[in-house]
Amino acid sequence: MSGNIPVHEVMLKLSQFPNLLANSLMVDALEYMSKYSLGIVCAVNNEQKLLGVFTDGDLRRMLLQHQKPLPSLMTDDLSAHISPKPQTVLPSTTIREAVTKMEDFQIWDLPVVDSENKLCGLLHLHPVIDRLINPK
Amino acid sequence: MNTKSKTLRIGSEPTEPVFIGLHNPLVFIGGPCAIESRDHAFMMAESISKVCHRVGISWIYKSCYDKDCRSAPNSFHGLGLDHGLNILQDVRKEFGIPVVSDFSDPAWAAATGKVVDLIQVPAYLCRQTSILRAAAETGKPVHLKKGQYMSPWNIKNSVRKLESFGCDRILLTDRGTFFGYNMLVNDLRSLPIMAETGYPVCFDATHSIQLPTSMGNISGGQREFIPPLVRAATACGINALFMEVHDDPPNALSDGNTVLDIQYLEPILAQAKAIHSLRQELLEQWGEDNVR
Repeated sequence: MSGNIPVHEVMLKLSQFPNLLANSLMVDALEYMSKYSLGIVCAVNNEQKLLGVFTDGDLRRMLLQHQKPLPSLMTDDLSAHISPKPQTVLPSTTIREAVTKMEDFQIWDLPVVDSENKLCGLLHLHPVIDRLINPK
Repeated sequence: MNTKSKTLRIGSEPTEPVFIGLHNPLVFIGGPCAIESRDHAFMMAESISKVCHRVGISWIYKSCYDKDCRSAPNSFHGLGLDHGLNILQDVRKEFGIPVVSDFSDPAWAAATGKVVDLIQVPAYLCRQTSILRAAAETGKPVHLKKGQYMSPWNIKNSVRKLESFGCDRILLTDRGTFFGYNMLVNDLRSLPIMAETGYPVCFDATHSIQLPTSMGNISGGQREFIPPLVRAATACGINALFMEVHDDPPNALSDGNTVLDIQYLEPILAQAKAIHSLRQELLEQWGEDNVR
């Protein structure tokens, strides 16, 4: 069954989605999100451990919540605006479980981390659907 | 004010080091804008030392050997690199106080760094990569003045440049921000905003009251605003206070319209010290502001 495919077979590799050090500037984070056409950026530390994520939704909330000038938001550290405890999956998680998690939390991106919370990929909903309707 | 603020140690043998940081007493940075002569430099160092001793405030002697940003080509430029640095070195040795000077050309940095305890990046040049690299490579703490044209959050870009060149000892200073032409204003929000970088912050009172090039080919100034701005900035939250001081402002060879007459230094420093101490007490009693 296609639903039993492990996440690591479908996930985007580190070079295929935005992942930046947490002390990166917000302007760089936003540019990377646009460059990869993804609504999420993963913030990591020097050991590549996942510290949080920043999404298009976080951007909307940030613009509504913060009253300081936009240019000053651009020079904030990414870490100042991330959600620190994002939903994640393991590489061995099945895509059925992962998609269920996406439905439960109304999200379409899930960072993939190993047992030590090191970021190893990103599960994006579109490749998952593509794999399900076009099985190899 | 950022509670994670670093503490800078400025000075080494034979000077008495001073410490600039959130939990340290206010430090004064001052002296004549330009080194005018050996005798004048020594006289000023001695006079300011006496005042600081009476007030009970640690201080760093500031004077520059080359004023490269003067408005007119015939304005006093300075005594030059070698002569000026020799005098600074002797002041440092004679009085045992740390010294600071700026530099306007990357080629001057190495020689300057060998003498000074704190190396200053001029406000106009605060985003020049070659200057920031040269400052960092001296290995000395860097006094980075926020450009008059720059927002306080954008100074972080210059801080990042210094850090990328290996410098992690930085003092950030507000010296006013352009308000239209020939006019500066102080947005005191810049002090806590710059402190968010984690580095100590300083207020430059005498350049803040400058009216840049308002006199055609020289800058004017409104000295009457030095005392209220010092009190306001100190209450807002600073770790160091910068003021240029002269014994004869009308005849000063640089920044004559903005330097503080030394006869007024003691009451201003005494008030700044008292306000700073009170603020630290209040900080201890009430903790950090958290009203977001």
